[in-house]
Amino acid sequence: MDVLQVLVPIAYSAIIIVATWIMARFLIIIIRRLMGQSTQMLGAQIQRLVWLIVWLVGIILAIEEVGVNPTILLLIVGLLGVAVIVAIRGPLENFGARYFTFGYVPFKVGDNITVQGHSGKVIEINSISTILLSHDHVVSIPNSTLMKETVVNTTHQAWKAVSVPIVVNSEIDVPAFESEVLKSMNKLRYHFDDRFPPILSLVSRNRQSTELVLNLMIRNPEKRDAIINEVNKRIEEITANAKKTRKQSQQKQ
Amino acid sequence: MDGNEDLGSGPSEGAVDPSGVSGLKICVNTQTPLIWFTHEIGPLDDGTKVTDLSQLKEGDDYNYSSGGVTRMVLPLLKRMLSDGTVSEAHWVSLNPSAPETIKADGITHHFVSLEKGRLANYGKVKEIMWKAAHGTTTDAITAEEIFMSDDFPDFSYYDRLTAEAINRLDKETDFDLFYLHDFQQLQIGHMLNTLKPKMYRWHIPFDYSTFPEKWRETFITYFNSYDMMIVSSSKYLESLKEFGYSGIIKKLYPYVDPSDYSVPKPEETSALCERLGITNGDEVILVVARMDPMKGQDHAISAFASIFGKYPSLKLVLVGNGSFSSSKRGVGLSKGEKWRADLETQVQKLGLEGRVIFAGHLSQQELDSMYERCLFTMLPSVKEGFGLVVVESWLHRKACLITDRAGITEIIKDGENGMLFNPDDAAGMAEKLARMVEDRGLRKLMAEKGSESARLCTIDEGLKAETKIIKELVGG
Repeated sequence: MDVLQVLVPIAYSAIIIVATWIMARFLIIIIRRLMGQSTQMLGAQIQRLVWLIVWLVGIILAIEEVGVNPTILLLIVGLLGVAVIVAIRGPLENFGARYFTFGYVPFKVGDNITVQGHSGKVIEINSISTILLSHDHVVSIPNSTLMKETVVNTTHQAWKAVSVPIVVNSEIDVPAFESEVLKSMNKLRYHFDDRFPPILSLVSRNRQSTELVLNLMIRNPEKRDAIINEVNKRIEEITANAKKTRKQSQQKQ
Repeated sequence: MDGNEDLGSGPSEGAVDPSGVSGLKICVNTQTPLIWFTHEIGPLDDGTKVTDLSQLKEGDDYNYSSGGVTRMVLPLLKRMLSDGTVSEAHWVSLNPSAPETIKADGITHHFVSLEKGRLANYGKVKEIMWKAAHGTTTDAITAEEIFMSDDFPDFSYYDRLTAEAINRLDKETDFDLFYLHDFQQLQIGHMLNTLKPKMYRWHIPFDYSTFPEKWRETFITYFNSYDMMIVSSSKYLESLKEFGYSGIIKKLYPYVDPSDYSVPKPEETSALCERLGITNGDEVILVVARMDPMKGQDHAISAFASIFGKYPSLKLVLVGNGSFSSSKRGVGLSKGEKWRADLETQVQKLGLEGRVIFAGHLSQQELDSMYERCLFTMLPSVKEGFGLVVVESWLHRKACLITDRAGITEIIKDGENGMLFNPDDAAGMAEKLARMVEDRGLRKLMAEKGSESARLCTIDEGLKAETKIIKELVGG
């Protein structure tokens, strides 16, 4: 058997894998830039989805190149996918809705809302449902319902509240980052209710990332989207600068 | 039941009840450090790092802070460590010129450092907030806008840096309780990434009617990040409740450890008096306060100027220098030096040179000497969170003339255990000063009654109340 006949497909296959890696990186950078104008959590989810699709296509092409018929693999993946979707359609709907509610439904934990005749304080928003404390009862509202039904936020001055989620690398210097964010927000101070200065809170932290949330109270609800876009743009710049500074100090070391 | 409680209104008898709480790991946070270093602490002669205060010399290398907060917290931790309530104590504070960590009195001290530029801005914000919280600000607009000022991010930077240090320590130590002091640390409760109990002691006066209106929502957010708040008088407790704090509020009088106060040898007192220019026949009125306009030394000098001609042997001794905030090795604000210069000018203008003595900082033993040497003491503050100086006077069996704007007035019966005056009423103040000078019997009575009242503000009372509070928060 000719060695070349074996090595060439393997080489092509390797090239496809490398190209897949480059493509995935390239698309993620593009999405990150585009999603800089939207919420970071939603952006992270879309990045993950695109990464998965690119790698799935790349792997199938690479397998095909070495002479293995991917049809059966595709069939198995497809059938498994359909079975999973059918089996957990309800939770999936809620799960998907969770990521949309995170960015676009105007309430957060601690707010008082009314939905489908249920009124109460939001005590939890998880992947499946939103939990309300209504008098002494716990009411669970599926997240998909929140996408379909009218939700009334009855919290005092809720229309002013804007929460901007921020995910940064865990190595970031949080005090310096916060200081820069607050300085940057001062440039927009005219748009904020001056009785409620911007407050940055640390939500969680793991080895890879630190999750923060910037709480703002705006003066003019019509400018909500414009303010969110501007705030996200500024945070992205601060994050990029912080990354640059970190790299420079690492190089010095 | 809302859990709000008065813990400092009655004398108690007997030994401290540890209330079943033991072995706690506690993290204390104050702005002012317990220990001030007189110079940069480098490695020892053998090249090793300084890890324990016993490796250094008091006076040459370091001094203990004389402020009320540290004076209270140190004996509390020492007693809690010795009775087993606390098994491990960490104390995080600001100290730009200190080693990162040092052990002293069984407590591990962790010092947070700030670079000069940030420190200066931090100091500016702190000063504005401090004045506004005392209702004495001259620039209401700056105070109102302080949270969105260009200097505020540096104030937040310090708080976040401290919170990060505490979060890291918590990861290593797994604390049972966080006990924060000083109004400058208010934001830190919100920044601590923990559900474990957080207590906050507000030491300055709390009267929300003097706060800028725009502070309300921000303060409520920060206050509500604490499970419990402790204030020094019933008036402050009521004001905090009305302000809208939703957690538990306790009133607890500040306290000192009487064993820290002693009667020095006569020769030690004589040596100090000689140094300060106090002769045997002199009668001394003593003011012990840091150099700060809020402490009202100018009122004391004015009142003294009204009566000094009538009493040729009378001298006014002002003890104290700047606080940690005004020291060059601390926050670096210049207000202490500036205020002393203003007072010196006032003394010159009033022709009181030689009759008003600026003693500066005194060691504890020297301070004891001055308390013993004086006729009576005076607390002339424009506003005062509590006024532990009054308790110190009582411990030395001295009567005290007290501003009616201090938290301690809650336990003062005018003319019995102290005499109250309005610092804005110069004539009334001078008249009461003269009465105190002349009426030896009244001074004796007030000193006796005062020494009974002092029991309300001793470490025994404090320890009992603090242990009860901690038990409520951590269980046990």
